[in-house]
Amino acid sequence: MKKLSILFFTLTILFISCSDDDDNGPNPDPVQSKQASNIFAPQSGGQGTGQEVSGDFTKFDFKTGIVTTSDTEWDIAFRGTTIAVNGGTVTGTTDEPTRNGDAASAIATGTFANITNAEGLTFKQDANASFAIPTGSDNGWYNYNFMTNVISPIPGKVLVFKTRDNRYAKVEILSYYKDAPTTPDPTSDEARYYTFSYVYNPNEGDKNLN
Amino acid sequence: MNRVFWAFLLLKSTLYGQYSTLEKDSDSIATQNLEEVVISATRTERQLSSLPLPVTLISKDQIRNTGRIRLDEILQEQTGIITVADESGFEGVQMQGIGSEYIMILIDGVPLIGRSSGNFDISRLTVGNIKQIEVVKGPSSSLYGSEALGGVINIITEKPKKEKISGNTSYRLGSYTQQDVNLSLKQKIKGFGYTLFANRFSSEGYDLNPNIEGQTVDPFENYTVNGQLHYDFSDKLSVFSSSRFYYQAIDSELFSDGLKYKSNDEEIDWNTHLRFNHKWNENLHTEYEFYFTNYNTSQKLVNEPTGNVLSESDFDQGLARLEIRTNYKFKNGGQLTSGAGYQYEYVDRTSFDQEVDFSSQYIYIQYDTNLIQNLNAIGGVRFDNHSEYSNQLSPKLALRYEVTDNLAAKASFGYGFKAPDFRQLYLDFTNSAVGYTVLGYNVAVEKLNELVQQGQILDVVISEDELQNPLEAENSIGYNVGLTYKSKKWNTEINFFRNDFKNLIDTRIIARKNNGQNVFSYQNFDEVFTTGLELNIQYKPINRFQINAGYQLLYTYDKQKLDMIDQGQIFAREPQTNTTIAIERSDYLGLVNRSRHNANIKFFYDIKSANTNINLRLLYRSKYGLFDTNGNGIIDDYDLPDSFVNAFVTANIAATKNFCKNFDLQIGANNLFDFTDGNIPTQPGIQLFARLNYKF
Repeated sequence: MKKLSILFFTLTILFISCSDDDDNGPNPDPVQSKQASNIFAPQSGGQGTGQEVSGDFTKFDFKTGIVTTSDTEWDIAFRGTTIAVNGGTVTGTTDEPTRNGDAASAIATGTFANITNAEGLTFKQDANASFAIPTGSDNGWYNYNFMTNVISPIPGKVLVFKTRDNRYAKVEILSYYKDAPTTPDPTSDEARYYTFSYVYNPNEGDKNLN
Repeated sequence: MNRVFWAFLLLKSTLYGQYSTLEKDSDSIATQNLEEVVISATRTERQLSSLPLPVTLISKDQIRNTGRIRLDEILQEQTGIITVADESGFEGVQMQGIGSEYIMILIDGVPLIGRSSGNFDISRLTVGNIKQIEVVKGPSSSLYGSEALGGVINIITEKPKKEKISGNTSYRLGSYTQQDVNLSLKQKIKGFGYTLFANRFSSEGYDLNPNIEGQTVDPFENYTVNGQLHYDFSDKLSVFSSSRFYYQAIDSELFSDGLKYKSNDEEIDWNTHLRFNHKWNENLHTEYEFYFTNYNTSQKLVNEPTGNVLSESDFDQGLARLEIRTNYKFKNGGQLTSGAGYQYEYVDRTSFDQEVDFSSQYIYIQYDTNLIQNLNAIGGVRFDNHSEYSNQLSPKLALRYEVTDNLAAKASFGYGFKAPDFRQLYLDFTNSAVGYTVLGYNVAVEKLNELVQQGQILDVVISEDELQNPLEAENSIGYNVGLTYKSKKWNTEINFFRNDFKNLIDTRIIARKNNGQNVFSYQNFDEVFTTGLELNIQYKPINRFQINAGYQLLYTYDKQKLDMIDQGQIFAREPQTNTTIAIERSDYLGLVNRSRHNANIKFFYDIKSANTNINLRLLYRSKYGLFDTNGNGIIDDYDLPDSFVNAFVTANIAATKNFCKNFDLQIGANNLFDFTDGNIPTQPGIQLFARLNYKF
């Protein structure tokens, strides 16, 4: 094994040193596979209150992997079950952040591991009266169960994002409840806490997500 | 009540004195019972064992000896018949895996109305005055039209036979202060006959979950009254008329957001039925039938101290029908039955803009003959023209071949349909707690535009064209193939069935609201099938002892979901590792509320020397799913355990002793093993009961 990796290392060095000037620069940065936990996405109004949905979105930046309050350095943002992307225009709801990047999203169907590439997907941006990730039960990423009142991420729905600065990432939402309980109880578990796995490719324009 | 009882006794003794001299020993009923005759399968009298269709007959003896008092209780003891609540929470009957909305409930051949989200609550019906219950499985729209998609259940009430006044009165007391009082009278004097029946049933209800405020089943009381008249004008012309009235009241307390509300629920169901029978000659007779029924409910929620009305909802539905039927017997034994009718229905309810009505006309014809010796064939077709949906043509064909004296083979196929109901066409409902809206198909465009104008809509997700074509009737084609074997001690039957449903109506999202919720309307899309087999074995080694065993194997699937699974489009999350995996066919458990296995075994024993009969009935249901919990829209192995009802057995036992000739004392226990499950609110724990019956 050792021998093989030394050989591989040598070959790589050789390959790099032999590459000509047309090559796309340095060795690509490794794809990052991470998990974000308990991202709180509060909202006011909606859900039978008779009032319009409002409140600030919680913004997330794939590059740093953390929640941010920056008006520009964000890729996606959460408010309740709604997810906005930093691309396109405001949809027209109250308190939406201004879109100043070029982010977009697509919903792929498959296991998280099997979505290895962003190639061939149709990316959409937020637009007037329409979020790129459709809102409502069974339209986008979640299902609302009338029997249990539980919001669960639809299994097999993988959200693929183009970030504000043309990187790619895939996201699988695992839970909408605080500390991601296996069997959420809407009467005791706090909702609007996102836990998701994501894979971020820091290389510009590289659609590989594996 | 007391006063009525004494008045009745007085009446009884006078009538008894007057007519006792005219009494004839007319115990001809006994001989008739040997040849079990059913009427529902063909709308003609047919011997049960000769029918080419799967039919279950429940006799008065069985009802009486098992001590069951409501229709749901006796039906759920039959093979392949289950009572279960669907996603709406309302309970109804299921046969061959087909839900209550597709099963027609008839009383003396005319339909009963009054459904909640499509479910007919058959516990509304007392069995105190029933002669027999006939259950025809498989599509029966060729005779009965809409709703008879999965079959029909026809309740045949008792008719007067004797010149001497006869009847019974009984009182039954059971756990949860269940009280059932019956009074029945009947008499036939020459051409004139009457029956009178009254029932009062009440209970204090029960609570399966003391941790939740309020009871699982609230105290209730209900009354059923039925009067019938028969009169022969001549040998050729006779009349039958029946009026039935049912009333139920439930007073309960509800808690919402810490506030206490009083709820008053009232339910009224009444009908009147008039039928003339004209015998033109030996071979030809015609029936003229008029029927009207009304179903009415009201619910009011009032805040206890303030008197504020939280909600009020009313429901008022009516149906009127005129039908003419003719039956002609050919010399070769063939019978031609035909009919034509006009039906008018209306509904007015909260969540409807205004009263809506439907009308329909129909015509049907059926020919029943022996093609060759030992081969009986029934062919029929019905045409329905309806004001709200496209015309329906419902054919049916059934064959029965007698291989030997003991063995016969049957096969049948038929088409069944169910018209879109009032709710699916005219509902305008917004859930005040969650904020979603459901619109009936016919009013969807108009109501959606109103919501748009009110600024409640974020976007409309379908084009208006998609709401242009009328909603289609749900329909199904059913096949039944079976064998029957009958000998002195054995009576066995096996039947394979398959029902292919098309155009099932379900909700879909038509728009999204600003509050994050959806606007739903109805659409035709689901294609499902139910298939399986039913096995019934009756063994009577000696005259006094009988064992009945039954089993139903059932598979029910949504065809689109199966296709999606095959294409690897449906996923689940492994709960331990939280990783997503693709669902396989073997993980898909099928439609909700369907058990793969249902079985029963019943023992009946007569102790002649002690004038006593005893019976024990055991009923088994395998595990079934109630709802999806992992968001993939199907019931699968990865759904949470809470969303399933695990396999269970209920046992019922009853013993009846006859004494002093006219008295019966019955004691028994229903649900002997005290099985309860929080997911089955209609199943109380063990119920002990005792009944005293006096017949005259």
